[in-house]
Amino acid sequence: MNHDPYQWGRPSDQTYGQYNHAIANAKNAPAEHDSFPKMNTQNPIITSTSVLGIKYKDGIVMAADNLGSYGSLLRFNNIERLIKVGKETVVGVSGDISDFQQLQRILDELETEQEVYDNFGDNNLRAPHVHEFLSRVLYNRRSKMNPLWNSVIVAGFNDDRSPFLKYIDMLGVTYGASTLATGFGSYLAVPLLRKVIPEDKDYVNVSEEEAKKVIMDSMRVLFYRDARSAETFTLVTLNSEGVKYDKQVQVSNQSWEFAKDITGYGSKQL
Amino acid sequence: MFRNNYDNDSVTYSPTGRLFQVEYALEAIKQGSAAVGVASKTHVVLVGLKRNAEELGSYQKKLIKIDNHMGVALAGLAPDARVLTNFLRKQAMNSKLVFNRPLSTSSAVLSIADKAQENTQSYGSRPYGVGLLVSGYDETGSHLYEFQPSGSVLEYYGASIGARSQAARTYLEKNLEKIRESASMEELIVHGLNALRDTLSQDVELTFKNTSVSVVGKDTNFTVYEDEDVQQWLDKLDSVTNSSNRNDEDEEEDAGAAAEAEGNDAGNQDTTEDRMETDE
Amino acid sequence: MTSIGTGYDLSNSVFSPDGRNFQVEYAMKAVENGGTSIGIKCKDGIVLAVEKIINSKLLVPGKNKRIQTIDRHIGVAYSGLLPDGRHLVSRGRDEAKSFKSIYKTSVSVPHLMDRLGIYVQNYTCYNSVRPFGVVAIIGGVDKKGPHLYMIEPSGAFWGYSGAATGKGRQTAKSELEKLNFDELTVREGVKVAAKIIHQAHEDNKDKDYELEITWCSLEETEGRHEFVPEDLLEEAIKYAQEEDEDDDEEDDDEDTEMAT
Repeated sequence: MNHDPYQWGRPSDQTYGQYNHAIANAKNAPAEHDSFPKMNTQNPIITSTSVLGIKYKDGIVMAADNLGSYGSLLRFNNIERLIKVGKETVVGVSGDISDFQQLQRILDELETEQEVYDNFGDNNLRAPHVHEFLSRVLYNRRSKMNPLWNSVIVAGFNDDRSPFLKYIDMLGVTYGASTLATGFGSYLAVPLLRKVIPEDKDYVNVSEEEAKKVIMDSMRVLFYRDARSAETFTLVTLNSEGVKYDKQVQVSNQSWEFAKDITGYGSKQL
Repeated sequence: MFRNNYDNDSVTYSPTGRLFQVEYALEAIKQGSAAVGVASKTHVVLVGLKRNAEELGSYQKKLIKIDNHMGVALAGLAPDARVLTNFLRKQAMNSKLVFNRPLSTSSAVLSIADKAQENTQSYGSRPYGVGLLVSGYDETGSHLYEFQPSGSVLEYYGASIGARSQAARTYLEKNLEKIRESASMEELIVHGLNALRDTLSQDVELTFKNTSVSVVGKDTNFTVYEDEDVQQWLDKLDSVTNSSNRNDEDEEEDAGAAAEAEGNDAGNQDTTEDRMETDE
Repeated sequence: MTSIGTGYDLSNSVFSPDGRNFQVEYAMKAVENGGTSIGIKCKDGIVLAVEKIINSKLLVPGKNKRIQTIDRHIGVAYSGLLPDGRHLVSRGRDEAKSFKSIYKTSVSVPHLMDRLGIYVQNYTCYNSVRPFGVVAIIGGVDKKGPHLYMIEPSGAFWGYSGAATGKGRQTAKSELEKLNFDELTVREGVKVAAKIIHQAHEDNKDKDYELEITWCSLEETEGRHEFVPEDLLEEAIKYAQEEDEDDDEEDDDEDTEMAT
């Protein structure tokens, strides 16, 4: 594929007229391409796959692998995508890795401004605030036609100490649920997670062990089916005791027996 | 050489390190009518004494709402207060928009403190000429702050600003324990009004026309009581006149302007450092 | 002070015939009567402490914190015009933030001082501004270990092992000179700081004060600048008062309320 967007062409001037740069201030295209609008990120480069999150009665369990893919090449295997913000909030990021790193810096600055500068001890930065803030950041960027190419899950606690779990994507769309996943996980993992928590309110019936088990199962299914996923991942548990990181967790109980029966995808002729 | 050469602007220190323009701005607060704030563990009450410039004119506003959980009382230049409260309202809305949470009282006051400081360090702008009492109820409970044009901000259990406010402070200091232990918002309002009452000059008494009351606190949005609505609170007072006038032994209050100046001096002394003054 | 009234002291940025900048000197005067601030550089970190004069019993005890944080690993204590101090800190934070946004690493203490020095010096150069009315003691721990600096209204700053400013600076300095900075740990430094502030308060005895102490060390705070824990502060206050009785045999200390 030719990765230069300027080579992808644009509608012909005869049909649509010249590009109107005045619209949405889309002016600053480089001089040599002035028939084009200004263009920003068109595609992610180094990517990462699903983040999973599930509420249980005392908190939240999250998981994400440590892989950074360059196309189909598994390029980096040491990327920690579940990041702690403030004292009791974890933000899980999937999508473009450089944009994730930018988010990391933005969140570091947020933490500095809210907690380090606050010598009155009045600014308790918690998950709902981090979530609202991130949704503003992502929506602002997409409104500038320059999105941060990520899907994000924010986990933590509400003011009343109930678990908080909400999603934001690169368009600024947000929603909350007791079971959440980004990327491929939203197709493959969410149905598994919802078996444990059919309705949002039901998370109160789920124990930490059950939550961890379904996350482990989902990570295994994702590793089976998602070619951009990896075998080692990080598992985070948030509860009243704090935030616990289990790093270098392996996908367990694998059985590739089913693989021989897979047909299609060009792997095997019928 | 009697003229003070060091008081023309806020970018000149006197040989003793004082900033006269800033100190004069603090005097502007005392030109305004009094406002008193008191804080219990659950509520903060602000009360203000309103003036009307002429019989047919309306009374000047003393209390301004910032958000559901925050409001201020002012003494001094009301237009300056409008500028500052407008800024505070913007901060409050921004906090809701960006973080989905109410602005903390401390962030609010510090933001205007930093704004005020800028005006004391550069030529061409004057310091603000208004003092504010900022009341707020947030995650960390009830808070009462005093803001000054010098850019100083301090948290108090009870505070008063404006004309003859020293008298109110005396009441507050004497009744600090009771104020802190106030079980109900009614009790707290009565303490606030008692303190305000002590700032009255001899021929004036608290009426529903010249008194404003506000309260904010636990499960209580910032609420302002004006006009007829104030009467219910005045009814709870044992008297609506100044206690020192009732005892008719007030050598201080009678002397008018001279006494005022004396009161001011006392006021300056007990808060030396934070009022941007450094006495020898 | 012979040149007072000759007109050369009325505007910032003006030299007198003998080469002095009076407005900067006057700014120093604003500092000299403020509550005492000290900083101690220990072998494993730094300790900052201020004597917070309590001008009214209506003030909320333990609030109205004076020591501020510039970045996670850098703290500031200052004496003088407190709003000016907040301005300086706010600039320090901007500098630390801008450094991080460019270099993706936290600013070192000496480099931050360079930048703040330039900023403060600028306020001595123009008649449209006035110099800062504070002396700030800035300390922190970075990759090269603990650092302690003191910056003046002129923009000049020096590194110190023990620094003091404000009304009780002379007393504090003579006490600081007795310390062995190579051996002192921050945990001991906290107690020493409490004692020095207590002694320096003798110069300002007619007023009550509150003690505020922060520290920053790799061992104790993982390199973060923080207020010392409540129990350690209590312990330090007790230590300061005990010492006081032993040393001076003075028993008129009831008016010195050291609330936290």
